Amino acid sequence: MVNDGKQKTGADSQGKTDAGQGGTRDAIVRRRPLLKAAGAGTGLALTAGCLDSFAGSDGGGRQELDGPLKIGVLAPEPANDPIGASIANGARLAAQQLTENGGVDGYDVEVTVKDTKENPGTGKQKYQEFILDDEVHATTGIFTSEVLLNVLDDIADQGKVHLTTGAATPEASARVHENYDEYKYHFRTGPINAYHLGTNLVDFGEAMFDEMGWEQIAVLVEDYEWTRPVSQALDDQLGDTGVEVVMRERYASGTENFTPIYDEVESTGADAVLTAMAHTGTPAVVQWARQQRGFEFGGIHVPMQLPSYSAATEGACQFGITQNSATPKSEVTEKTVPFANAYQSEFGSAPVYTGYITFDAVKQYAQAVSSAGYVSSDEVVTELEDSSYRGTAGTIEYYGPDHEYAHDVKYGQDTVWPLFQQWQDGSQEVIYPENLATADYASPPWI
Amino acid sequence: MSADATATRGLVGLLDPRRYGIRHQAGVVGLVLLAVAPYLVPTVWVRNLTIALFFAMFAMSWDVVSGYTGQISFGHAFFFAIGGYSSALLNLELGLPPVVTVPVAVVVTVVAGLLVGVPALRLRGPYFSLVTLVAPTILLNVFILFSDTFGGELGLDSPAPILDFDDLAVTLVANYYLAFALFVGILAVLLAVTRSDAGAVFTAIREDEDAVAASGLNPAKFKVFAFALSAAVGGLAGAVFVHTPVGNPNPSQLLALTVSIEVIIAAILGGMGTIVGAAIAGIFLRLFQLYLGTVEYVVPVVDTAVADVDLLLFSLVTLVLLFALPGGIVRWAVHGGGAALDNIRGRDTATDGGRDPPDRDALAAVRESWREDVAAMQARVPGAEPGPDESAGGDRR
Amino acid sequence: MVDVATLAVNSVIISALYALVAIGFTLIFGVGGVLNLSHGATITLGAFAAYYASGGIVEAGVGGAVLAAIVVPALFSAAVYKGLIERIQDQPVMVMILTLVVAIAVEQVFLVAEGTQPKSIPSLLDGTVALGGSKFQTNLLVVFALSWVIIAGLFYTINNTETGKAILATSMTTKGAALVGIESDRVNLYTWVVAGGLAGVAGLFLGSFQTANFAMGRGPLMLSFAIVVIGGIGSVKGSLVGAYVIGTAEVVTGAINTRLTGLVPLLLLILVLLVKPEGLFGRELAE
Repeated sequence: MVNDGKQKTGADSQGKTDAGQGGTRDAIVRRRPLLKAAGAGTGLALTAGCLDSFAGSDGGGRQELDGPLKIGVLAPEPANDPIGASIANGARLAAQQLTENGGVDGYDVEVTVKDTKENPGTGKQKYQEFILDDEVHATTGIFTSEVLLNVLDDIADQGKVHLTTGAATPEASARVHENYDEYKYHFRTGPINAYHLGTNLVDFGEAMFDEMGWEQIAVLVEDYEWTRPVSQALDDQLGDTGVEVVMRERYASGTENFTPIYDEVESTGADAVLTAMAHTGTPAVVQWARQQRGFEFGGIHVPMQLPSYSAATEGACQFGITQNSATPKSEVTEKTVPFANAYQSEFGSAPVYTGYITFDAVKQYAQAVSSAGYVSSDEVVTELEDSSYRGTAGTIEYYGPDHEYAHDVKYGQDTVWPLFQQWQDGSQEVIYPENLATADYASPPWI
Repeated sequence: MSADATATRGLVGLLDPRRYGIRHQAGVVGLVLLAVAPYLVPTVWVRNLTIALFFAMFAMSWDVVSGYTGQISFGHAFFFAIGGYSSALLNLELGLPPVVTVPVAVVVTVVAGLLVGVPALRLRGPYFSLVTLVAPTILLNVFILFSDTFGGELGLDSPAPILDFDDLAVTLVANYYLAFALFVGILAVLLAVTRSDAGAVFTAIREDEDAVAASGLNPAKFKVFAFALSAAVGGLAGAVFVHTPVGNPNPSQLLALTVSIEVIIAAILGGMGTIVGAAIAGIFLRLFQLYLGTVEYVVPVVDTAVADVDLLLFSLVTLVLLFALPGGIVRWAVHGGGAALDNIRGRDTATDGGRDPPDRDALAAVRESWREDVAAMQARVPGAEPGPDESAGGDRR
Repeated sequence: MVDVATLAVNSVIISALYALVAIGFTLIFGVGGVLNLSHGATITLGAFAAYYASGGIVEAGVGGAVLAAIVVPALFSAAVYKGLIERIQDQPVMVMILTLVVAIAVEQVFLVAEGTQPKSIPSLLDGTVALGGSKFQTNLLVVFALSWVIIAGLFYTINNTETGKAILATSMTTKGAALVGIESDRVNLYTWVVAGGLAGVAGLFLGSFQTANFAMGRGPLMLSFAIVVIGGIGSVKGSLVGAYVIGTAEVVTGAINTRLTGLVPLLLLILVLLVKPEGLFGRELAE
């Protein structure tokens, strides 16, 4: 069965705490300066004395900015992957604009990009390089939830603000909520967390399924960490929309052949599949279109958010629907289109959703440093908590420490409310919400 | 078995400076350099050195079974993953501290290794390699199948660290010494075993298994022993690895095909069947790979930074090295360099003790035994039902 | 539950494709006695050659895509053999290692050049056909038919042409073949070229069915192991049977639980290796 994100959190922190001296997340233990060696072997006592020479001086206290504002950006394959490239370029563009407009307190904003390779180990390594080598003030980025969870303890240890701009797992915010003093440095600028992603699918369904003729639905979700809360939200709420869920499948990560899955969907007579796909989305949509399967296709489909996707799939994504933060032509806010145009002219391609979010994150962070008057993390954290920043993907506000999704961006029509787009004639047409819609939903002709 | 007695003698012998030839002196200098390395390099490189030390342990674990007995394993990542995942799961799920989970993980790895190894070692040559090539893939599929427990393609959360301090630099240095201690321990044990009588039998199995059997020893028993030892070392290194800040229980670090193949490449470049070669080449290979990942230099024509194509360059360089120096860089360097130094000093090259492995190329021996196995397969008359002894290719007594 | 007719047709189609995937691997092992672990990478290369020829770089249509998918991998395979393998073909370990590194390098080339997002390759024929109450993709039926045409052509060539007979003879006994004046190096080269071309076509078919990405060759390589071991190493006929065993097992288990599909071929492989290591069909190349 699907694992509840919240339960998992509880079980995990339980396990960590029970691990006693080795526990990673126990605040009291963590702050104890000496060896917590559960397996201290010979030689450790010997080295422990010499280790002091490696300990840096603790900053502590309020600190004003006295040089360039340095931000580390963690992006997956920024040279090869449009999602990673958008994280990197969104941050670069924000830094460039900030610097051109006088910088922060007169200092330049500098971003350094490192590649996580979507690998938790590499992500941790690169984060530590930012701390040791680049001495950044804050970090942003991180697309993969598994990478974020692996870096979270370092973020807590280092006490540097991190604004996540891709990974959606609510486990991160759960930790902020449960252990605020340790984890308060983590914020998620976007997207809305994975449980809200599911909630948003349901909200979309309540408004649109009737009109689209989706009565019986098969839920197809790829089996990765980020989709667990999505499944949970769909399980909790989809029943309320009046649609009948005829099939639920969390298919294996790395699936390439969708024939058996689609055969089963067709045998259930579903009108449509409701998807949550990122890593496995392309083979899924291409096989659906090529095989002209007898059901419609939409939900969360990350590759379909790419502006160049129609060309990359030779039109196979035609009639597919996906949730998205923004499209290059949609006026989510007055800043959306100018950003998309500036990005296009600077980097020669349109940004993906992570580009909008990262751009907002860097700008919001710079604003927080500027208005706090300090660059030290505790002051910036307080400033970000109170901040309401009008960005390209909506109005960015964060839930408070007492909320179960502490420091996640607020989901709502007045804050961040994703749109739904359908690929029609090779372009991304918005079909929901109504005030942004550029087209009506169209059924595939073979249905 | 007299392995224990010999091992002790070997260890004592190792501590006696009078026995040291030029190679051993170089080895001691190398160990001393590793011991003071954190004071010589930037902290980021302390981290990289820690990764390299673990990788060297993986390579040694491979060498003790494949380099010595000639049973070429293409799936040693299986051991590292079983060790790492067992320890991580015991810690995450049951809350046991690493001091308990690591030894348990070693036992689990040995048991899992024997479950695969005992039947697989009956197979010879390419068949054995095929089974070992497939074993990690099966394990990965099991991890994906039961992703609620094993975390699927992206792995598990980090388990509790063994050593953790407030300051990141201190943590990294402490973990470096943890890795270094483990490295030295494993190196000493494997050197002692392989320089013992058991090691001589391993080598003999590689050279001619039938001759070992004819002399009244049971080669199967020695192969299983080497396999279990290798599993224990690989499992131990994998288990400790996930409790350090440089390692995580995820497939790309512990289970990927590239892990298995890089281990083989390290051992071959270092010189198969030497342990020391695998250790040295393991360290340098991993450091080289990590270095490539930091090079910002943009290659003019293709307009790409070296760091963005690091793994491609790495695979091309290893391809060239393997092709040009199949006997191993370390062997090549030691032969060239060692002989030159000895000539200068007017010494005889044979002074450094008789327990070193024979200079005959280990690969050549494997090559010959494989050729025989393949020929035996080819000679099998189609349709004729082979006897139970032959069908498995092994167990001839 | 999916109906039996659909499962049956799916099994028959996917198995034919799997046979095509494995045959090149079998040929090289049969003739040269080495395991070519760059086989999966050759499949990837075929898929991307088709992608480049059908709009990725030039617009050469479906015909051009098919041609590119055969010629490029065949040349690549020849280059791997002449450049790397020929000198060390009596060292099966080094062949396995070098071909594995080649495979990794090829993956990295496509990762760097094309990124992680999968690419779609044009169908050979668009649309669907109704068969026995179920709809099937025309493209898959074409793939099925072409796979069989190619396999039949291969059988004919091996049994009825000079080169084919030389390949057959070498696979039976290298020494014997040498005695009757067959140059084993030349035969080996032909084998690698043919195997490369076949793998390339398999890559095109797989890609047009599932999309192409840099790591797409890994699955087929594992499938090839399983098929070849089940059929008996070096036996083309055995590979056909092995492909049908694996293809059917995959489709049937996939209908029960889609998560099992990757695991089943490998478990069958281990089972056969432990119980009947010579495979179902001893070893002979063809009859």
